[in-house]
Amino acid sequence: MSMPNDNLECGHTLEELSLYLDTGEFADPRHLETCPDCRNGLDSLRRLTAAGSELLSNDLAAAGSGNDPWMKNILASLKLELRPGRDIPLRSDDPADRLTETEGSVFALIRSVADATPGAVAGKVRLHGDVTVPGEPITVSVDLAVAFGHPFMRSAAALRLDLAKALARHTELNIAGIDITITDVIDPSAAQAPDPAPQEES
Amino acid sequence: MTDPLVPDRLDLVPDALLVSRAADGDTAAFETLARRYGPLMRACARRLTGSYADADDVVQEALVQAWKQLDTLREPGAVKSWLLRLTGSRSIDFLRRRRNHAGFGDIDEVSGKGDVGSPEAGPEAKAVQGSSIESLKAALARLPEEQRRCWVLKEFNGQSYDQIAQTLNISTASVRGRLARARITLVREMEEWR
Repeated sequence: MSMPNDNLECGHTLEELSLYLDTGEFADPRHLETCPDCRNGLDSLRRLTAAGSELLSNDLAAAGSGNDPWMKNILASLKLELRPGRDIPLRSDDPADRLTETEGSVFALIRSVADATPGAVAGKVRLHGDVTVPGEPITVSVDLAVAFGHPFMRSAAALRLDLAKALARHTELNIAGIDITITDVIDPSAAQAPDPAPQEES
Repeated sequence: MTDPLVPDRLDLVPDALLVSRAADGDTAAFETLARRYGPLMRACARRLTGSYADADDVVQEALVQAWKQLDTLREPGAVKSWLLRLTGSRSIDFLRRRRNHAGFGDIDEVSGKGDVGSPEAGPEAKAVQGSSIESLKAALARLPEEQRRCWVLKEFNGQSYDQIAQTLNISTASVRGRLARARITLVREMEEWR
Protein backbone atom coordinates (compact mmCIF):
# COMPACT_ATOMS: atom_id res chain seq x y z
CA MET A 1 0.00 0.00 0.00
CA SER A 2 1.65 3.21 -1.10
CA MET A 3 0.84 6.85 -1.22
CA PRO A 4 0.41 8.39 -4.62
CA ASN A 5 3.67 9.80 -5.93
CA ASP A 6 5.69 7.54 -3.72
CA ASN A 7 6.93 5.73 -6.85
CA LEU A 8 10.31 6.81 -8.05
CA GLU A 9 10.97 7.00 -11.76
CA CYS A 10 13.18 3.93 -11.58
CA GLY A 11 10.18 1.88 -10.47
CA HIS A 12 11.20 1.49 -6.82
CA THR A 13 9.26 3.12 -3.99
CA LEU A 14 10.13 5.22 -0.99
CA GLU A 15 8.53 2.50 1.13
CA GLU A 16 11.17 0.07 -0.12
CA LEU A 17 13.88 2.60 0.68
CA SER A 18 12.42 3.22 4.15
CA LEU A 19 12.53 -0.50 4.85
CA TYR A 20 16.05 -0.70 3.45
CA LEU A 21 17.23 1.97 5.89
CA ASP A 22 15.92 0.01 8.87
CA THR A 23 16.70 -3.54 7.80
CA GLY A 24 19.28 -3.36 5.03
CA GLU A 25 16.95 -5.47 2.91
CA PHE A 26 16.50 -4.53 -0.74
CA ALA A 27 15.62 -6.71 -3.70
CA ASP A 28 18.37 -5.33 -5.91
CA PRO A 29 21.15 -3.84 -3.75
CA ARG A 30 23.38 -3.02 -6.71
CA HIS A 31 20.69 -0.80 -8.16
CA LEU A 32 20.99 1.48 -5.11
CA GLU A 33 24.60 2.28 -5.92
CA THR A 34 23.85 3.61 -9.36
CA CYS A 35 20.31 4.96 -9.31
CA PRO A 36 20.20 8.74 -8.73
CA ASP A 37 16.51 8.64 -7.78
CA CYS A 38 17.10 6.08 -5.08
CA ARG A 39 20.14 7.93 -3.80
CA ASN A 40 18.13 11.12 -3.53
CA GLY A 41 15.36 9.28 -1.79
CA LEU A 42 17.79 7.72 0.67
CA ASP A 43 19.43 11.08 1.30
CA SER A 44 16.07 12.61 2.13
CA LEU A 45 15.19 9.76 4.47
CA ARG A 46 18.56 10.02 6.19
CA ARG A 47 18.08 13.75 6.67
CA LEU A 48 14.75 12.96 8.28
CA THR A 49 16.37 10.42 10.59
CA ALA A 50 19.00 13.00 11.56
CA ALA A 51 16.30 15.61 12.22
CA GLY A 52 14.48 12.99 14.31
CA SER A 53 17.56 12.36 16.48
CA GLU A 54 17.99 16.08 16.89
CA LEU A 55 14.37 16.48 17.94
CA LEU A 56 14.82 13.66 20.45
CA SER A 57 17.93 15.33 21.89
CA ASN A 58 15.98 18.57 22.21
CA ASP A 59 13.04 16.84 23.83
CA LEU A 60 15.38 15.03 26.19
CA ALA A 61 17.01 18.30 27.25
CA ALA A 62 13.56 19.81 27.73
CA ALA A 63 12.36 16.82 29.76
CA GLY A 64 14.78 17.76 32.54
CA SER A 65 17.00 15.65 34.74
CA GLY A 66 16.42 12.64 36.94
CA ASN A 67 16.95 14.83 39.98
CA ASP A 68 14.13 17.25 39.14
CA PRO A 69 10.94 17.56 41.20
CA TRP A 70 8.84 15.71 38.60
CA MET A 71 11.05 12.63 39.02
CA LYS A 72 10.97 12.94 42.80
CA ASN A 73 7.17 13.03 42.66
CA ILE A 74 7.10 9.92 40.53
CA LEU A 75 9.52 8.08 42.80
CA ALA A 76 7.58 9.16 45.89
CA SER A 77 4.38 7.63 44.58
CA LEU A 78 5.83 4.37 43.26
CA LYS A 79 5.14 2.27 46.39
CA LEU A 80 7.35 -0.59 45.31
CA GLU A 81 6.35 -3.95 46.74
CA LEU A 82 8.91 -5.72 48.89
CA ARG A 83 10.68 -8.82 47.65
CA PRO A 84 10.91 -10.92 50.83
CA GLY A 85 12.23 -14.12 49.26
CA ARG A 86 12.34 -17.24 51.44
CA ASP A 87 11.52 -17.29 55.15
CA ILE A 88 14.54 -18.12 57.28
CA PRO A 89 13.57 -19.68 60.63
CA LEU A 90 15.01 -18.29 63.87
CA ARG A 91 15.28 -20.06 67.23
CA SER A 92 12.83 -19.01 69.86
CA ASP A 93 12.70 -19.66 73.60
CA ASP A 94 9.05 -20.52 73.49
CA PRO A 95 8.34 -23.47 71.17
CA ALA A 96 4.93 -21.96 70.44
CA ASP A 97 6.54 -18.96 68.77
CA ARG A 98 7.52 -19.13 65.15
CA LEU A 99 10.17 -16.55 64.35
CA THR A 100 11.59 -15.93 60.91
CA GLU A 101 13.59 -13.38 59.04
CA THR A 102 13.30 -12.86 55.31
CA GLU A 103 15.90 -13.75 52.75
CA GLY A 104 15.45 -10.23 51.37
CA SER A 105 16.58 -8.71 54.66
CA VAL A 106 19.71 -10.89 54.64
CA PHE A 107 20.42 -9.76 51.06
CA ALA A 108 20.13 -6.15 52.23
CA LEU A 109 22.50 -6.85 55.13
CA ILE A 110 25.07 -8.41 52.80
CA ARG A 111 24.78 -5.53 50.34
CA SER A 112 25.24 -2.93 53.05
CA VAL A 113 28.37 -4.64 54.38
CA ALA A 114 29.81 -5.01 50.87
CA ASP A 115 28.92 -1.40 49.98
CA ALA A 116 30.83 -0.23 53.07
CA THR A 117 34.03 -1.68 51.60
CA PRO A 118 36.07 1.17 50.12
CA GLY A 119 35.96 1.11 46.32
CA ALA A 120 33.30 -1.59 46.10
CA VAL A 121 29.62 -1.81 45.29
CA ALA A 122 27.60 -4.99 45.73
CA GLY A 123 25.70 -6.56 42.85
CA LYS A 124 23.70 -9.76 42.89
CA VAL A 125 23.57 -11.68 46.18
CA ARG A 126 22.58 -15.32 46.60
CA LEU A 127 22.20 -17.75 49.50
CA HIS A 128 22.88 -21.24 48.19
CA GLY A 129 21.41 -24.09 50.19
CA ASP A 130 18.07 -24.60 51.91
CA VAL A 131 17.81 -21.61 54.23
CA THR A 132 14.41 -22.77 55.47
CA VAL A 133 16.06 -25.67 57.33
CA PRO A 134 17.91 -24.58 60.52
CA GLY A 135 21.60 -25.52 60.56
CA GLU A 136 21.74 -26.37 56.87
CA PRO A 137 25.14 -25.32 55.43
CA ILE A 138 24.71 -22.17 53.36
CA THR A 139 27.10 -20.65 50.87
CA VAL A 140 26.86 -16.92 50.22
CA SER A 141 27.75 -15.54 46.82
CA VAL A 142 28.20 -11.81 46.22
CA ASP A 143 28.94 -10.07 42.95
CA LEU A 144 30.98 -6.90 43.27
CA ALA A 145 31.84 -3.92 41.15
CA VAL A 146 35.16 -2.40 42.19
CA ALA A 147 36.72 0.95 41.41
CA PHE A 148 39.56 0.82 38.90
CA GLY A 149 42.96 1.31 40.48
CA HIS A 150 41.68 0.67 43.96
CA PRO A 151 43.75 -1.92 45.86
CA PHE A 152 40.81 -4.21 46.22
CA MET A 153 42.51 -7.57 46.63
CA ARG A 154 43.66 -6.59 50.11
CA SER A 155 40.13 -5.69 51.12
CA ALA A 156 38.54 -8.86 49.71
CA ALA A 157 39.80 -10.84 52.68
CA ALA A 158 38.59 -8.13 55.03
CA LEU A 159 35.19 -8.10 53.35
CA ARG A 160 34.85 -11.86 53.73
CA LEU A 161 35.58 -11.44 57.42
CA ASP A 162 33.14 -8.54 57.81
CA LEU A 163 30.43 -10.51 56.07
CA ALA A 164 31.03 -13.55 58.29
CA LYS A 165 30.82 -11.35 61.40
CA ALA A 166 27.68 -9.54 60.28
CA LEU A 167 25.96 -12.78 59.32
CA ALA A 168 26.88 -14.37 62.62
CA ARG A 169 25.51 -11.41 64.54
CA HIS A 170 22.28 -10.86 62.61
CA THR A 171 21.35 -14.34 61.43
CA GLU A 172 21.50 -17.93 62.62
CA LEU A 173 22.60 -19.23 59.24
CA ASN A 174 25.31 -21.88 59.20
CA ILE A 175 27.64 -20.17 56.72
CA ALA A 176 29.80 -22.76 54.95
CA GLY A 177 31.47 -20.35 52.56
CA ILE A 178 31.47 -16.86 51.11
CA ASP A 179 32.22 -16.48 47.41
CA ILE A 180 33.08 -13.02 46.15
CA THR A 181 33.08 -12.47 42.39
CA ILE A 182 34.21 -9.24 40.81
CA THR A 183 31.91 -8.73 37.86
CA ASP A 184 32.67 -5.12 36.96
CA VAL A 185 35.55 -2.70 37.20
CA ILE A 186 34.39 0.89 37.31
CA ASP A 187 36.47 3.88 36.35
CA PRO A 188 35.10 6.64 38.56
CA SER A 189 37.05 9.32 36.71
CA ALA A 190 35.12 8.39 33.59
CA ALA A 191 31.91 8.76 35.53
CA GLN A 192 29.45 9.29 32.78
CA ALA A 193 26.40 11.41 33.05
CA PRO A 194 23.37 9.26 32.49
CA ASP A 195 23.23 8.16 28.89
CA PRO A 196 21.63 11.01 26.93
CA ALA A 197 19.92 9.74 23.81
CA PRO A 198 19.63 6.41 22.03
CA GLN A 199 21.14 7.62 18.80
CA GLU A 200 23.68 10.21 19.60
CA GLU A 201 25.58 11.74 16.77
CA SER A 202 28.86 13.41 17.25
CA MET B 1 38.83 7.79 54.25
CA THR B 2 38.26 8.73 50.65
CA ASP B 3 36.29 6.30 48.65
CA PRO B 4 36.18 6.99 44.94
CA LEU B 5 32.74 5.42 44.68
CA VAL B 6 31.13 6.92 47.71
CA PRO B 7 29.26 10.10 46.87
CA ASP B 8 26.91 8.69 44.29
CA ARG B 9 28.11 5.13 44.19
CA LEU B 10 25.07 3.77 42.52
CA ASP B 11 25.16 6.50 39.90
CA LEU B 12 28.48 5.12 38.71
CA VAL B 13 27.66 1.47 38.39
CA PRO B 14 26.55 -0.18 35.16
CA ASP B 15 22.90 -0.88 34.38
CA ALA B 16 23.25 -4.65 34.69
CA LEU B 17 24.46 -4.42 38.29
CA LEU B 18 21.62 -2.07 39.23
CA VAL B 19 19.15 -4.47 37.62
CA SER B 20 20.55 -7.38 39.67
CA ARG B 21 20.28 -5.41 42.87
CA ALA B 22 16.79 -4.19 42.07
CA ALA B 23 15.71 -7.74 41.21
CA ASP B 24 17.04 -8.75 44.66
CA GLY B 25 14.76 -6.12 46.19
CA ASP B 26 17.02 -3.07 46.42
CA THR B 27 14.73 -0.09 45.87
CA ALA B 28 17.64 2.39 45.91
CA ALA B 29 19.20 0.64 42.91
CA PHE B 30 15.87 0.73 41.12
CA GLU B 31 15.47 4.43 41.83
CA THR B 32 18.93 5.05 40.41
CA LEU B 33 17.84 3.30 37.21
CA ALA B 34 14.65 5.35 37.20
CA ARG B 35 16.60 8.58 37.55
CA ARG B 36 19.03 7.48 34.86
CA TYR B 37 16.39 6.74 32.22
CA GLY B 38 13.39 8.68 33.53
CA PRO B 39 14.11 11.78 31.41
CA LEU B 40 14.33 9.70 28.23
CA MET B 41 11.14 7.84 29.16
CA ARG B 42 9.46 11.16 29.84
CA ALA B 43 10.58 12.65 26.52
CA CYS B 44 9.24 9.65 24.59
CA ALA B 45 5.98 9.52 26.53
CA ARG B 46 5.44 13.21 25.98
CA ARG B 47 5.84 12.89 22.20
CA LEU B 48 3.27 10.11 22.29
CA THR B 49 0.75 11.56 24.76
CA GLY B 50 1.21 15.26 24.05
CA SER B 51 1.80 16.60 27.54
CA TYR B 52 4.22 16.29 30.43
CA ALA B 53 1.39 15.69 32.89
CA ASP B 54 0.26 12.63 30.95
CA ALA B 55 3.85 11.61 30.29
CA ASP B 56 4.57 11.57 34.03
CA ASP B 57 1.59 9.27 34.66
CA VAL B 58 2.84 6.99 31.91
CA VAL B 59 6.41 6.96 33.26
CA GLN B 60 5.11 6.09 36.70
CA GLU B 61 3.03 3.19 35.35
CA ALA B 62 5.96 1.95 33.30
CA LEU B 63 8.24 2.02 36.36
CA VAL B 64 5.74 0.12 38.51
CA GLN B 65 5.51 -2.51 35.79
CA ALA B 66 9.30 -2.59 35.45
CA TRP B 67 9.75 -3.23 39.18
CA LYS B 68 7.27 -6.10 39.08
CA GLN B 69 8.72 -7.68 35.96
CA LEU B 70 12.43 -7.08 36.46
CA ASP B 71 13.11 -10.78 36.89
CA THR B 72 11.72 -11.43 33.40
CA LEU B 73 14.40 -9.26 31.86
CA ARG B 74 16.72 -11.80 30.28
CA GLU B 75 19.52 -9.42 29.36
CA PRO B 76 20.03 -7.04 32.32
CA GLY B 77 22.26 -4.78 30.22
CA ALA B 78 19.32 -4.15 27.88
CA VAL B 79 17.28 -2.43 30.57
CA LYS B 80 17.23 0.90 28.77
CA SER B 81 15.52 -0.38 25.63
CA TRP B 82 13.22 -2.48 27.81
CA LEU B 83 12.15 0.57 29.81
CA LEU B 84 11.50 2.46 26.58
CA ARG B 85 9.42 -0.45 25.31
CA LEU B 86 7.34 -0.42 28.51
CA THR B 87 6.99 3.34 28.16
CA GLY B 88 5.75 2.89 24.59
CA SER B 89 3.13 0.30 25.57
CA ARG B 90 1.92 2.26 28.57
CA SER B 91 1.67 5.41 26.40
CA ILE B 92 -0.43 3.63 23.80
CA ASP B 93 -2.65 2.14 26.54
CA PHE B 94 -3.06 5.61 27.95
CA LEU B 95 -4.10 7.00 24.56
CA ARG B 96 -6.63 4.18 24.13
CA ARG B 97 -8.13 4.86 27.54
CA ARG B 98 -8.29 8.54 26.77
CA ARG B 99 -10.07 7.90 23.49
CA ASN B 100 -12.60 5.72 25.28
CA HIS B 101 -13.33 8.63 27.57
CA ALA B 102 -13.44 11.17 24.77
CA GLY B 103 -16.45 13.43 24.78
CA PHE B 104 -16.15 14.28 28.44
CA GLY B 105 -13.67 17.02 27.85
CA ASP B 106 -11.62 18.58 25.17
CA ILE B 107 -9.15 16.08 23.82
CA ASP B 108 -5.96 17.32 22.38
CA GLU B 109 -4.33 14.42 20.64
CA VAL B 110 -1.90 16.51 18.69
CA SER B 111 1.70 16.17 19.70
CA GLY B 112 2.99 18.77 22.06
CA LYS B 113 -0.02 21.04 21.85
CA GLY B 114 -0.95 20.31 25.43
CA ASP B 115 2.25 21.94 26.55
CA VAL B 116 2.16 25.32 24.96
CA GLY B 117 3.22 26.97 28.17
CA SER B 118 5.95 24.55 29.17
CA PRO B 119 9.59 25.22 28.49
CA GLU B 120 10.56 23.74 25.16
CA ALA B 121 14.30 23.65 25.68
CA GLY B 122 17.13 25.43 27.38
CA PRO B 123 19.01 28.27 25.71
CA GLU B 124 21.71 26.01 24.29
CA ALA B 125 19.20 23.72 22.74
CA LYS B 126 17.51 26.72 21.24
CA ALA B 127 20.69 27.96 19.64
CA VAL B 128 21.37 24.71 17.81
CA GLN B 129 17.72 24.08 17.26
CA GLY B 130 17.86 24.40 13.51
CA SER B 131 14.67 25.24 11.79
CA SER B 132 14.61 21.66 10.49
CA ILE B 133 13.52 20.75 14.01
CA GLU B 134 10.73 23.28 13.88
CA SER B 135 9.51 22.06 10.53
CA LEU B 136 9.72 18.45 11.69
CA LYS B 137 7.66 19.28 14.78
CA ALA B 138 5.04 21.02 12.68
CA ALA B 139 4.93 18.17 10.17
CA LEU B 140 4.68 15.59 12.96
CA ALA B 141 1.74 17.43 14.50
CA ARG B 142 -0.11 17.25 11.17
CA LEU B 143 0.53 13.54 10.68
CA PRO B 144 -2.38 11.13 11.13
CA GLU B 145 -2.29 9.83 14.70
CA GLU B 146 -1.62 6.19 13.79
CA GLN B 147 1.35 7.12 11.61
CA ARG B 148 2.75 9.47 14.20
CA ARG B 149 2.65 6.73 16.84
CA CYS B 150 4.58 4.38 14.56
CA TRP B 151 7.18 7.01 13.83
CA VAL B 152 7.70 7.99 17.47
CA LEU B 153 7.87 4.37 18.65
CA LYS B 154 10.52 3.74 16.01
CA GLU B 155 12.64 6.88 16.21
CA PHE B 156 12.21 7.84 19.86
CA ASN B 157 11.51 4.60 21.70
CA GLY B 158 13.83 2.68 19.39
CA GLN B 159 11.44 -0.22 18.91
CA SER B 160 11.73 -2.79 16.14
CA TYR B 161 8.94 -3.35 13.60
CA ASP B 162 7.85 -6.48 15.48
CA GLN B 163 7.80 -4.68 18.82
CA ILE B 164 5.79 -1.79 17.37
CA ALA B 165 3.36 -4.29 15.86
CA GLN B 166 2.92 -5.85 19.30
CA THR B 167 2.53 -2.50 21.04
CA LEU B 168 -0.07 -1.24 18.57
CA ASN B 169 -1.70 -4.64 18.09
CA ILE B 170 -1.37 -4.50 14.30
CA SER B 171 0.60 -6.59 11.79
CA THR B 172 4.26 -6.03 11.04
CA ALA B 173 3.26 -5.29 7.44
CA SER B 174 0.99 -2.49 8.68
CA VAL B 175 3.84 -1.08 10.73
CA ARG B 176 6.06 -1.10 7.65
CA GLY B 177 3.38 0.69 5.63
CA ARG B 178 2.49 3.28 8.27
CA LEU B 179 6.08 4.07 9.04
CA ALA B 180 6.92 4.48 5.37
CA ARG B 181 3.90 6.73 4.81
CA ALA B 182 4.82 8.77 7.87
CA ARG B 183 8.38 9.22 6.61
CA ILE B 184 7.30 10.06 3.08
CA THR B 185 4.94 12.75 4.34
CA LEU B 186 7.52 14.13 6.76
CA VAL B 187 10.24 14.20 4.11
CA ARG B 188 7.97 15.94 1.69
CA GLU B 189 6.75 18.54 4.15
CA MET B 190 10.26 19.25 5.36
CA GLU B 191 11.50 19.58 1.81
CA GLU B 192 8.74 21.94 0.85
CA TRP B 193 9.82 23.99 3.76
CA ARG B 194 13.51 23.97 2.77
